[in-house]
Amino acid sequence: MTTSPQTDPGPLRQSARSKRATRIADAASGGWKVVAAKILGLGVVDAIAIYALFVLVRSESWLVAGLVAAVTLLVNWIYFSRGKLPAKYLAPGLIFLAIFQIFVLLYSGYIAFTNYGTGHNSTKEDAVNALLLSSQNRVEDSPSYKLTVLEQLGEISFLVTEPDGSVSIGGNERPLEDVRNAQLEGGVAVGLNGYTSLGFQDIIAKQTEIAAISVPLTDDPNDGMLRTPDGSSAFLYTSSLEYDEAAGTMRDTNSGTVYSDIGTGAFTSDAGQELLPGWKIDVGFDNFIRAFSEESIRGPLISVTVWTFAFAFLSVFTTFALGLFLAIVFNDKRMKSRKYYRIIMILPYAFPGFLSALVWAGMMNQEFGFINTVLLGGAEVPWLTNEWLAKGSVLFVNLWLGFPYMFLVTTGALQAIPEELTEAATVDGAKPWAIFRFVKLPLLLVSVAPLLISSFAFNFNNFNLIYMLTNGGPRDVSAGVNVGATDILISMVYKVAFVGANRDYGLASAFAIIIFILVAGISIISFRRTKSLEELN
Amino acid sequence: MTTATQQHNPDAVIDPDAAVVGHPKRPFKRYFRETGWRHLVGIAMSIFAAFPLLYVFSASLNPGGTLVTANSLFSNFSFQSYVDLFNRPQQPYAAWFGNTLLIGGISSLGTVFLGALAAYAFSRMRFIGRRVGLLTLLLVQMFPQLLAVVAIFLLLSGISEIFPAIGLNSQIGLIMVYLGGALGVNTYLMYGFFNTVPSSIDEAAKIDGAGHARIFFTIILRLVAPILAVVGLLSFVGTTSEFVIASIVLIDPDKQTLAVGLYQFVSQEFSRNWSIFAAGAVLAAIPVMTLFLFLQKYIVGGLTAGSVK
Amino acid sequence: MKVTKRGLWAVGALTVTASLVLTGCTAASDTTDSAAGNGGSLTVWVDADRASVLKDAAADFTAETGVEVKLVQKEFGDIRDQFVAQVPTGKGPDIVIGAHDWLGTFVTNGVVAPVELGDKADDFQAVGVTAMSYEGQVYGVPYSIENIALVRNTALAPSTPATFDEMVTMGEAAGTEYPFLVGLDPEAADPYHLYPFQTSFGAPVFGTDADGSYDAEALEIGNAGGDEFAAWLAEQGAAGVLNTNITGDLAKEKFVAGEAPFYLTGPWNVPAAVEAGIDVAIDPIPSAGGEDAQPFVGVQGFFVSAKSENALAANEFIVNYMGSEEVQTALFEVGGRAPALTASFEAASADPIVAGFGTVGENAVPMPSIPAMGAVWEFWGVTEAAIINGGDPTSLWQKMSGDIQTAIAG
Repeated sequence: MTTSPQTDPGPLRQSARSKRATRIADAASGGWKVVAAKILGLGVVDAIAIYALFVLVRSESWLVAGLVAAVTLLVNWIYFSRGKLPAKYLAPGLIFLAIFQIFVLLYSGYIAFTNYGTGHNSTKEDAVNALLLSSQNRVEDSPSYKLTVLEQLGEISFLVTEPDGSVSIGGNERPLEDVRNAQLEGGVAVGLNGYTSLGFQDIIAKQTEIAAISVPLTDDPNDGMLRTPDGSSAFLYTSSLEYDEAAGTMRDTNSGTVYSDIGTGAFTSDAGQELLPGWKIDVGFDNFIRAFSEESIRGPLISVTVWTFAFAFLSVFTTFALGLFLAIVFNDKRMKSRKYYRIIMILPYAFPGFLSALVWAGMMNQEFGFINTVLLGGAEVPWLTNEWLAKGSVLFVNLWLGFPYMFLVTTGALQAIPEELTEAATVDGAKPWAIFRFVKLPLLLVSVAPLLISSFAFNFNNFNLIYMLTNGGPRDVSAGVNVGATDILISMVYKVAFVGANRDYGLASAFAIIIFILVAGISIISFRRTKSLEELN
Repeated sequence: MTTATQQHNPDAVIDPDAAVVGHPKRPFKRYFRETGWRHLVGIAMSIFAAFPLLYVFSASLNPGGTLVTANSLFSNFSFQSYVDLFNRPQQPYAAWFGNTLLIGGISSLGTVFLGALAAYAFSRMRFIGRRVGLLTLLLVQMFPQLLAVVAIFLLLSGISEIFPAIGLNSQIGLIMVYLGGALGVNTYLMYGFFNTVPSSIDEAAKIDGAGHARIFFTIILRLVAPILAVVGLLSFVGTTSEFVIASIVLIDPDKQTLAVGLYQFVSQEFSRNWSIFAAGAVLAAIPVMTLFLFLQKYIVGGLTAGSVK
Repeated sequence: MKVTKRGLWAVGALTVTASLVLTGCTAASDTTDSAAGNGGSLTVWVDADRASVLKDAAADFTAETGVEVKLVQKEFGDIRDQFVAQVPTGKGPDIVIGAHDWLGTFVTNGVVAPVELGDKADDFQAVGVTAMSYEGQVYGVPYSIENIALVRNTALAPSTPATFDEMVTMGEAAGTEYPFLVGLDPEAADPYHLYPFQTSFGAPVFGTDADGSYDAEALEIGNAGGDEFAAWLAEQGAAGVLNTNITGDLAKEKFVAGEAPFYLTGPWNVPAAVEAGIDVAIDPIPSAGGEDAQPFVGVQGFFVSAKSENALAANEFIVNYMGSEEVQTALFEVGGRAPALTASFEAASADPIVAGFGTVGENAVPMPSIPAMGAVWEFWGVTEAAIINGGDPTSLWQKMSGDIQTAIAG
């Protein structure tokens, strides 16, 4: 940026020929840096891509490998061919956007069509595994066996010593047999001729294999199986569930109830009882149907929607008005120490938002808060516990949190308005307010209108503020739904889909998509209007 | 607050233009009309902006105290919390501070660069899908991020299998995630500003034989310096205060950022340490303030006024 | 000319690519070499507080067994959701530290494996093992047990009150600004801290089934005792004894400043008071309704992932190592949380404060970990706050009970 010896355009008239000469010289001298950067950049990208392809092909992830190859080719094509100027400028940002934003969006969209959430967290295989694991019940009053793990010709055996001192050996599917000639140490069998005793290190090295071993106590499998949780002791377990792989059903060995996979993502008995965990399945539009039929949503829906719009609109309006006002106030060159005022203005922006929300909540405490005790001389104004005051307080705190952003943005945007314009208007005898209203503001809006729309969308989904300051409250406890006066759509969705520790990601995603369609629709309509603004330019 | 703003707004515009030349000795009335009232606004707003943060500062000087002391500000004056902050082996504050500067710095530079490239294309070139593309950039960012954490974890754990160096628990990985948001609102902000730079400047340069890259890097970028500084600052603040994604991506304590680390001081419901947390937050605000102090001359330096001719 | 120029580019780019790929490959093979040939390693998620405590214990375990223990520091509040989300991807840890009331979520999601305490089960305090059980199966090794108790400023109140009313009388006699403090939230009160009073009226949240675990079908909160408790809340709210504007932080601050003789809180707030020079005694929670005042007990412990590939090492670590007396005592000495192992607890009871909370804890009940509890939390606190602030006790309480019932039935 700093080295540009050739930018100074000579005032001399140049012939077409000398101009071309200049251009070539230009490309040769100043251009080589660009070329070098390009070669280096593309080289790095290609190297990464080729390495990724190696790994992907080796792990047989063909789809991802194909995508990587296609994107790499596209990038090379864009930068090696002539023209494609817009693509050359857009590609770097778009690649990051596609990977880290579009993917997130598509993933959320996909989740909306599944039952992903508490109890439906993983694959069917994991669910079967977890069910079988937790159905292992230790046989009541059974002793704990001292265990030595033995190995013979690669086969693992369990050498167990009962509390009464008797020693026996068994293996996977090989019931226990008594052993007489074991080597004892302190009453515990530690070795057997012909077998190698495994030390802790060896056990750890083979732990997956050893953990899977279950040694039948007798020939009758109903007597239970010996398993080891730690490699040094074994316990007798019976399983209360049995998985029939061929039929794909779970059977409760105590009651005989059969639970089968009926396509709802969990083993279900004929009586309708589900075994959890289940697994993740696709459920089509079920989540969207639930989103519209959910009782706890439908009741407060209208009031929450109205408040969400009011909150988002007023938040944008107040922060923009204050930010712009301050930007103009501090934009006067005659004013001294504006620099320091400006720094103080962005203070609220420099601290973590949740910290500020906590401080405000404390200051707004009805009985002990600063606002009531000091500013209002001991009044007991219920700032956060009265429905309307809480709404006002939320807006007020959001103003405090948000005006520095608008202040910064408008301060920057104001620099784009040439002073000549205002001067000219003044000379023409325009009143200051009229200059602001008809000259400055429209120009300003050209650059900040999209930001206002995006700020609207941000506040529409401003979950953090609501969650930290009021958590949606105050609530009307007689209403019977977990929705309060300051709840906006997104915080209501959160409360409906995430109850306590239960997470219903499928439902939450469906709501997210619905809200997105709503916000995006409003934004597109607003854009139509800014389009006319833009043509002002 | 809203009403006050509206009442003052007209005045805000009356003054800068009404008075043309300031005399060395101005009568008070005139002084007040020109700049005096601005100081009043400035002082009032400074109190509004800074007051709640006095609680944070006061808490940081009161080891073992709570965040919102019952209105007894600065009852204690001890810097012990600041000392403690740097003496916790499990919570390496100094490392967090460095990481934050690094991650925030690189992400904001990257954001400015990628955003400016895109804004230039949108502002100066005409191509199919330009308007739709612009709109899409904005819409993508409006999607409620309820599941972003799950998706980003999956994505980065996938990347980890290929390139452990840029996947989970890698600061480069986190920077890449942040760069995913480089296009979007920022592009718009720059796009709007780029549009105010007359295209006659480009044309002139083109006639003088400059290529598009040269025009962009040596002419346009200089002219739009104010907005580059604004976007850089915005994205620096954004990345340094972000902690949801950072807490998923960065695992080792000495790789984490301030926002993630600081939150640990107060996330434990029963062993919150407000004082140390407040001290950490006060120090964490310093880079943002310093950066703003440094960038201010670019933001309001009036570069455009001089050169757009 | 242009062709050659672009040809040059391509060659240049290829060179860069090739050299980078080569270095990339060599670097990659280096890392695989060094990673191979390792005995085994355990990844453990802990929060910052416990990380420092576990560090030495983990190093000792590695020295003894050769199994590397990698402690990953997480925010305590994040551990639950991240564990549930990451175990299915196969990227989760082998072991997590957690609170017992997460167990319902863990089991429903199939992310934890049962743990066999074997003969060790009897060495732990009974409430610890009960809390770590879900539907009769033990899933975790308890490590610390915490509950609230009445903290008394002995300079302001010389003797232990027997009932709530007696405590208030003593508190008023002390002449301080507040007779009694408990941290509440203006919007959601605090069911956890108020629970002992609720149980003293004979109104637990859930009944228990045959094996002693909570039964979501048997909601007890709305019984006759519940109504009496609600009426009591209204009365105390009107009298100003319970004040929802006194938040947790304010209550702590005021007790530390000597503005009240009694403070209902847990061991975590005691050090601040002791440091401020207050001589405290730990008393049983006085009964308000005549029956025993049973607080909730919170048990923290270690869980093993259902998809751990190091299950044996993980069990060895948490059962035989973390469950041993030396380690539990050492953990107490560093972290100050009352140990769950009886022998270690007895050693720790030399400290009168630990002993005092422990005595109260003998009477305590585990906080329910069943998923239905989520529905209870939704309605419980706000109703209490509404009643304390002047709402009609009986109708609100019954409404709450009905709402919870509906929410559980889903």
